[in-house]
Parts: sequence; C-alpha cells; structure tokens
Amino acid sequence: MGLLSKKDAKLITDPFADNNPITIQVLGICSALAITAELKASIVMSISVLFVLGLGNVVISLMRNIIPSKIRIIVQLIVVATLVIIVDLVLKAFAYELSKTLSVFVGLIITNCIIMGRFEAFALGNGPWRSFLDGVGNALGYAAILIIVGFFRELLGSGTLLGFKVLGDPIEKTGVYAIGYENNGFMLLSPMALIVVGIIIWVQRSRNKALIEEH
Amino acid sequence: MEHVELFFKSIFIDNMVFATFLGMCSYLAVSKKVSTAVGLGAAVIFVLAVTVPLNWLLDQYILKEGALVWLGPEYAEYDLSFLSFIMFIATIATMVQLVEIIVEKFSPSLYNSLGIFLPLIAVNCAILGGSLFMQSREIATLGLALNYGIGSGIGWFLAILAIAAIREKIRYSNVPPALRGLGITFIVTGLMAIGFMSFGGMLTGGDDAKKEDKKEVVTTEPKKDEVKKELQEANTELSRSEEDKKEIAENTKEIE
Amino acid sequence: MSKRTDSNLYTVLFAVGMVLVVGALLAFLASFLAPNIDENKRIEKQQNILYAMGVNENDESSAIFVSTAVAEQEFQKYIKKQLVIEGGKVTEDEKAYLIDVKKEKSKAKNGGVRRLPLFVGEKDGKTFYVAPIRGKGLWDAIWGYVAMDENMVVQGAYFDHKGETPGLGANIKQRFFMDDFTGEHLLDDTGNFKGIRVAKGNNDPKNEEKTDYEVDAIAGATITGDGVSAMIKSDLKLYVPYFKTLKTN
Repeated sequence: MGLLSKKDAKLITDPFADNNPITIQVLGICSALAITAELKASIVMSISVLFVLGLGNVVISLMRNIIPSKIRIIVQLIVVATLVIIVDLVLKAFAYELSKTLSVFVGLIITNCIIMGRFEAFALGNGPWRSFLDGVGNALGYAAILIIVGFFRELLGSGTLLGFKVLGDPIEKTGVYAIGYENNGFMLLSPMALIVVGIIIWVQRSRNKALIEEH
Repeated sequence: MEHVELFFKSIFIDNMVFATFLGMCSYLAVSKKVSTAVGLGAAVIFVLAVTVPLNWLLDQYILKEGALVWLGPEYAEYDLSFLSFIMFIATIATMVQLVEIIVEKFSPSLYNSLGIFLPLIAVNCAILGGSLFMQSREIATLGLALNYGIGSGIGWFLAILAIAAIREKIRYSNVPPALRGLGITFIVTGLMAIGFMSFGGMLTGGDDAKKEDKKEVVTTEPKKDEVKKELQEANTELSRSEEDKKEIAENTKEIE
Repeated sequence: MSKRTDSNLYTVLFAVGMVLVVGALLAFLASFLAPNIDENKRIEKQQNILYAMGVNENDESSAIFVSTAVAEQEFQKYIKKQLVIEGGKVTEDEKAYLIDVKKEKSKAKNGGVRRLPLFVGEKDGKTFYVAPIRGKGLWDAIWGYVAMDENMVVQGAYFDHKGETPGLGANIKQRFFMDDFTGEHLLDDTGNFKGIRVAKGNNDPKNEEKTDYEVDAIAGATITGDGVSAMIKSDLKLYVPYFKTLKTN
C-alpha cells in the first residue's frame, strides 16, 4: 500500500466490513435482490457498479463546487443517467452482444441508491482522488455481498455455479442427486435473497459486536 | 371496472415491495417507527401520483415513436424513446426536490427524521419503477396512469406501515443480539414477501389454465381409467385412515 | 457551499446549461450512432430467424448464432420466401423481416389491419415456416421466433427479452428452455389451435410427451412463463388460416 496513505486505504477497506453498503448503510438492496439468483449476473452487476460508481464519484467531486445545492439531486441523477446511457449507446453500436447482456442492468444501475447515496454522502464534500477511492471501496463491499448471496442462491437453488452443474444433473440423477438430494427451488425466489442477506448480517454482527443495534 | 381491477392489482398483486422488490432501501431503513414510516409512505404516494401521470404525458406526446405527430406530420418518424430514462428521472427528481422543500418548511421534525432518505426518494426504485412499468405495460389513458400511480403508492405505504408496526412490537421480543434491528427486519420482510406471493395467482392465468385442464381430462380417453385408479387408491387410503382413527379412539379409551 | 451557488439566478442558469449540454450530447450520440445500432438490430433479426429454424452454431449448452459476418449471406441462402399476410391477402416482400411487430400490434389494437410476416425457409430439404411473436414478461417486453412445419408442429424456437430477471425469467433465452419446444404440437387432431402452455409440474421434465401442449416451466419465473404462453397463443393463432390454405392447396 505504498501508493495510499493509511487514511486513503481505509476508504477502500472500510466498506468491506464495518461500513458495508448493504449490511450497514442499507443501500442498493433492490438490485441485490433482483439479480442474485445467478452468480454470473451478480458478478456482471458488481463490475458495472464498480465502473459507474468510481467514475460518477469523480465527476460529481469535480463538479462539487459548481452544483447549486437546491437542485443537486437532479444534477446527480442526470450525471449518472447520462453516463449510463452513453455507455449503453456506445456498446449497442460497437459491441452489440455485450450490450445485450448488460441491457438488463442499465435501469438497475441508474436507480441503485448506492450510487446516489455515495454522491450525497461523500463525493459532494471530498476531492476527486478520495472520492474515487470511496467509490471503488463501496463498490467492492457491495460486490462482496452480491457474490456471496449469488453463490448460495445459485448453488442451492439450481445446483449450478456460473452455469456449471457442480452437483450433478437433477434430471439424469447423477452426482448428489443420485442419493436423493433435490434442488431447493425456493432459493431462486427473491424473498430468499432477503433471508440470505439477513443471515449474512447475523454472522457479521456476531463476529463484530460493535455493530449490534440497540433495537 | 378496469379502474377497480388495476387499482387492486397494483396494491396487492403487483405490490411494489413484495412482488417486484422495488423501493427496498428506504423501506428497510426508514421503518423503525410507525410515525416516520407514515410520513415517508405518504410522500411516496404523493410523488408516485404526480410523476406517473406526468411521465405518461411525456411518453405519449414527446418520447414515444411517432408521438411528436401533433407538431405536424413531418415529425411522425421521430423516436425519442432513448431519452425516456433521463426524462422520467428528471421529472421525478424535480418532484422530489419540491417535496423536500415543502416538508422542510412545514414539518422540520419529519424532515430531520427522514434524513438522507428524502433525497433518496428520487432513486427509490419504486418511483422510477412506477413510471417504467407504466411505459412497458402500455397503460392506455391518463386516468389509468393516475390510478396506477396512486395504487402502487398505497401498496408501498401499506407495506412500510406493516413492517414498521412489526418492528415496534418486535422490540419486546427476545431477538438474538446480532440479529436485532436490520437483520431481523430483512428476515421478516422475506417472510412477508412469501406471504404476499399468495396474491400472485389471483388475476394471472388461474382461470384459463383450469378450463384447459378440464378439457384435457374429458377429451383424452385413457386418462379416465387413470383417474379411476387414483380415486380407488385414494379411497383405500381414506379407509386406512379410518382404521387409524379407530385405533386412536381405542388408545384414548385405555388412557381414560 | 459558497454563496454564489445558492442564488436563484445561478440555479436557473445552471439548470438550463446542463439541460442543453446533456441534451445535445445525447442527441448527437444517438443520431451519430443510429446507423450502427440499426444495422446491428437488423443483423440480429436475421440471426434470430435463422436460429429458430436451426441454422446456428450451438455448442452443448449455450445458444450461439451464426456469426454476424455471414448472417446476411446465410439468410439469403436459407430463407426462400418472405411473406406478408395482411387480412386474407398474402404477398411477398423482401423487407418483411424488418416489420416491427410491436407497431403492428398497436395498429391492430386501434382497429387497423395487422401485417403478419412469415418467413419460409428451407434446410436439408425440409421446409420451415418462421413466425415472430411478441408479448410481455414480468418487467418488460419479451419476444421470439417460432419455426414450424406445415402442420404447425414446432421445429425450433428462439426467445429473447428486454429485462427479465437474470437467472429466472431471463432463462427463456437459454437452450434448455427453448429446446423443449421443438416437436411440440400447436394444433390438436381436428386442427383446432391449442397453443403451448409453459406449465409448472407437468410431470414431464424431460419433455418426452410432445402432444400435451405443455413444456416444463422455469422455477421461479411464473410470470415470464405465463407471458411466453400468452404470446404463443395470441400471435401464432393468427397464422392458423394461412396454414389451413397450405393444406388445401
């Protein structure tokens, strides 16, 4: 970490645990529920958010002194939306296949409160470099939860990981299915994502007592 | 009739929180107290009721392919739908900012307790979701759009009211320390959502699926026999359970 | 915040400036990239149609189209005729594949006559009739192409979606789902249209029974599945009269 001062490094590492955007700040839940039925989608979404949040934070941070406070929300939203739409249009024109896989995520990214939340809470009051680190850190913290949830939902729900049948074939009855194991289709439904996140919170707070809420 | 159906559908069956999982962030974070929940819920109803019809107008007269035809026939070819995201969001953000200013002026205590989440109504996916659903489901008239906005808003309001009430009560229960607060809220919401899923079959597909099933039983001859067999088996099971009952009755006598 | 940025005049000016900049930027980009995007969409349509009739480069599990470079060429090679059915009239039109099903649907809704495109293809001596379908899923539009033989037995299908849930509804464009449709009958013995229902728990997960008018649904994607059933029912039904004339001739 020669590049980063201790304070800067904390910006990256904090969101992983003690200040995780999903489990502590309660931001970006909707997308965490919508797309974690599959590990691959979780990863794609994580990368997209990393990109948009890092870049968006820098842009907002650069503009922080000229944005009129009365209309700051509109300005922030338009910056994100414009960024996303530009990327979407360019991909559609030059990398059509890729854009088709990402098209689902466009709307989810624009309305992802994690992005607005970090703009409001950090980028409006800090310089571009620190804002960039904050963006990357939070996106990584978000990614960690998404990938954990995606991992369990795909494994227990469809018996696959990234599309590979790691547990055998449920129809041909091979692998663990041969001894009577069944996929839990319930894991694929969104309510189970809520419950999995609830369990992650439980584990996290049991390990770090400082995070426990009074009520 | 169309109005009534859409209204109840948007409250219960397509409930923003439990069916589509939109607007979760503010839902989870601002549901500690019933009073704040009511404030935020009311704000969401208001914003949805205003933005959905407004965005409907935008969509119909500016964004849709061929929507600009009212300017003159030479504009019939324009398709501005790539702008719909940004236009919808701009409308929403403007409205939210307006609500923020009004709330700050008239109820500073509510303003303080809503904190960061008032600006976040703007990215409350339920709000943008409302407008986008309105667009993709091709809601036909302005009246229906207003109806849809209010209905979805009420659905969200009910959901946050319910969870806030549960959270106020749960305070008196012995929840494992690490689950207190957010953790248990996630899990309770999950269970509520599972409950709400039972509304799902009410208007979609239920009816005509059943009719088709019946037809198939009638038209395919060999299946009749199968049904008979099944019935017989079921009967023997029934008689078996009657035997069980006798046994149970005898046992209870002995105990007495 | 400095005081300067709080004045009303500044706020209004900033807003106007931003709208101009963003609007101009997006409009410029959109119109600049439009030809590219349209071309991509056109090729995609050709690929989709070819996919439905089995001209593709599938590997074991994923759906892979013929490459964009040869799509045009393959399309010309395999698609023998492009028909437009309008009312009772059938005409040939080389641009039939560019017909916008969404527009035609809304035209029919407003009392107009819907133009139905149908592509007649030939592969290995077999004739395929490919028809586009379109409907609504959970979040947004879903659409597809179904290839049939002259008895309206499905020979292949391709589905796509705008924004269904990844891992659930989005799986309608996975091979395990699309392949299930192959061989399914759309008409019953007397020639009445039955459609194909995406059904839960139809006790036929391997899809061996081809005349039950059902395919196995995707767990957790009820509404998308219902959308697929509905669009097959509503859109393919319109082609029944044409297939009847095929038989009498």
